[in-house]
Amino acid sequence: MANPLSQFEIKPLIPIEIAGIDASFTNSSLMMVLTVTAVTAFLTLSMRGRALVPGRWQALAEVTYEFVANMIRDNVGSEGRRYFPFIFSLFMFILFGNLMGMIPFSFTFTSHIIVTFGMAIVVFLGVTLIGFIRHGAKFLGYFVPSGVPVVMMPMLVPIEILSYLSRPVSLAIRLFANMTAGHTMMKVFAAFIIPLGFLGGWAPLAVDVALTGFEFIIAFLQAYVFAVLTCIYLNDAIHLHH
Amino acid sequence: MPQLDVTTFAPQLVWLAITFIAMYVIMAKVALPRVGQILEERQNRIDDDLDRAATLKEEAEAAAVAYDEALTKARAEAQAAIREVSDQLSAEAAERQKALGDKLAADIAAGEKKIAAARDAAIGQISEISGDLTKEAAEKLAGVKVTDKAIEDAVAAVMGARAR
Amino acid sequence: MSEGTSPEPTDDFDARLKNAREGRRPSEAETDGPTTSAQGIGTALRLGTELVAALAVGVGIGHALDIWLETGPWMMIVFFFLGSGAGALNVYRVASGIGLSPGYRRPTVKGNEDEDEDGGKPGNGSSV
Repeated sequence: MANPLSQFEIKPLIPIEIAGIDASFTNSSLMMVLTVTAVTAFLTLSMRGRALVPGRWQALAEVTYEFVANMIRDNVGSEGRRYFPFIFSLFMFILFGNLMGMIPFSFTFTSHIIVTFGMAIVVFLGVTLIGFIRHGAKFLGYFVPSGVPVVMMPMLVPIEILSYLSRPVSLAIRLFANMTAGHTMMKVFAAFIIPLGFLGGWAPLAVDVALTGFEFIIAFLQAYVFAVLTCIYLNDAIHLHH
Repeated sequence: MPQLDVTTFAPQLVWLAITFIAMYVIMAKVALPRVGQILEERQNRIDDDLDRAATLKEEAEAAAVAYDEALTKARAEAQAAIREVSDQLSAEAAERQKALGDKLAADIAAGEKKIAAARDAAIGQISEISGDLTKEAAEKLAGVKVTDKAIEDAVAAVMGARAR
Repeated sequence: MSEGTSPEPTDDFDARLKNAREGRRPSEAETDGPTTSAQGIGTALRLGTELVAALAVGVGIGHALDIWLETGPWMMIVFFFLGSGAGALNVYRVASGIGLSPGYRRPTVKGNEDEDEDGGKPGNGSSV
């Protein structure tokens, strides 16, 4: 285990090129496909019985459903219901991506800035588009803070715009940094287990066990934060205020 | 840092788009409606059950009220019947008592009458005997011939005084 | 619901039934606007990233403008400060629970603008 960052390397499995663009099927792509498969399997197989009194798996699926539904209702309100499938997909995609990255020798695609940024930019553009569709040019008033002297405006409006533009960046960086940092740390400690031998190896092993538990919490929390922030941005765009 | 290797960006974005769109379509068209449908069904079922519980409760309450009413009515009827019977009984008893009293009173009156007659007879005999005694006593002791008339008068006088 | 004519033994049942019927849709009435029920678990995780992200965006835009307009380092310097301001603003909003909307105070509940839901806004910031 020379380099703790080697776990993040992209390895092309099937080289594909479409219209001059490299679209190779990589280990990252494989995990994405597996994530979608796992989420789909989880939701369809657990609901196979369609029991009025749910079993264990069905109850879990229903809890997930209601968790996201409540998140949207609490943060966006009833108008957010239209975006439920999107936010649910986003949440489950990130959550399962994080969790499946916990499996040894697998790959965590959420630890790649381009992937998190891709999702963040879709959210950002979508929310901005919704804001403009619903409010037209009035949406630009979003960048003019209320209750502030006009003299301050030349400074505050750029700051507001920068603050708005920083949303997808912070969204992307947060998820990427959390996943990368957690996995790197685990790898660093794991690298010490064997060299320290039978006597000394226990300490880094214990740290890694604790980190693993911590990583499961982070995996959920980051998926939650990403989805909640999406809800909040959506709410800002729908309920334009000030 | 492998994450900053720009050559990997294109394939990752392409596959992110493919998989995420697939995910969205599957979620929106297949998976979520299923879960939502079950949840709705259950909610409806629970609502129905609660509604039915409410109506059943109302029915039970109505039944309880009807039962209460019937019970009160029955109780009142029973009491009325009891009162009637007891009135009748006490009336009969009073009648019987009165008849008995009358009979007793009649008996007493008859007895008194008999007693009075007996007494009168006794008194008559007493005057008669005392007259005879007086006559004999007067003849034997005084040798005086006393007329019945005088004796009778005397006895009558004494008896009258006594009687008074 | 039936009126209070119920005799005593059903009182308990009455209450339970009422609870069950009212509890089945907890926030039916408040679906119009966002509520404050989400918890502020990730606040600590957010603060640093918000600052760094705004700063990065500011410097990035400044650098791009410098290249485009050939204005030397000046745009980057200006945007460095603007980015810092935006980052500080982000942090302030997250920390004070205003949410990410413009403005520097918690919006007052007036609802005078385009009949949109204003009142629920303050809760958003605390949710993450």
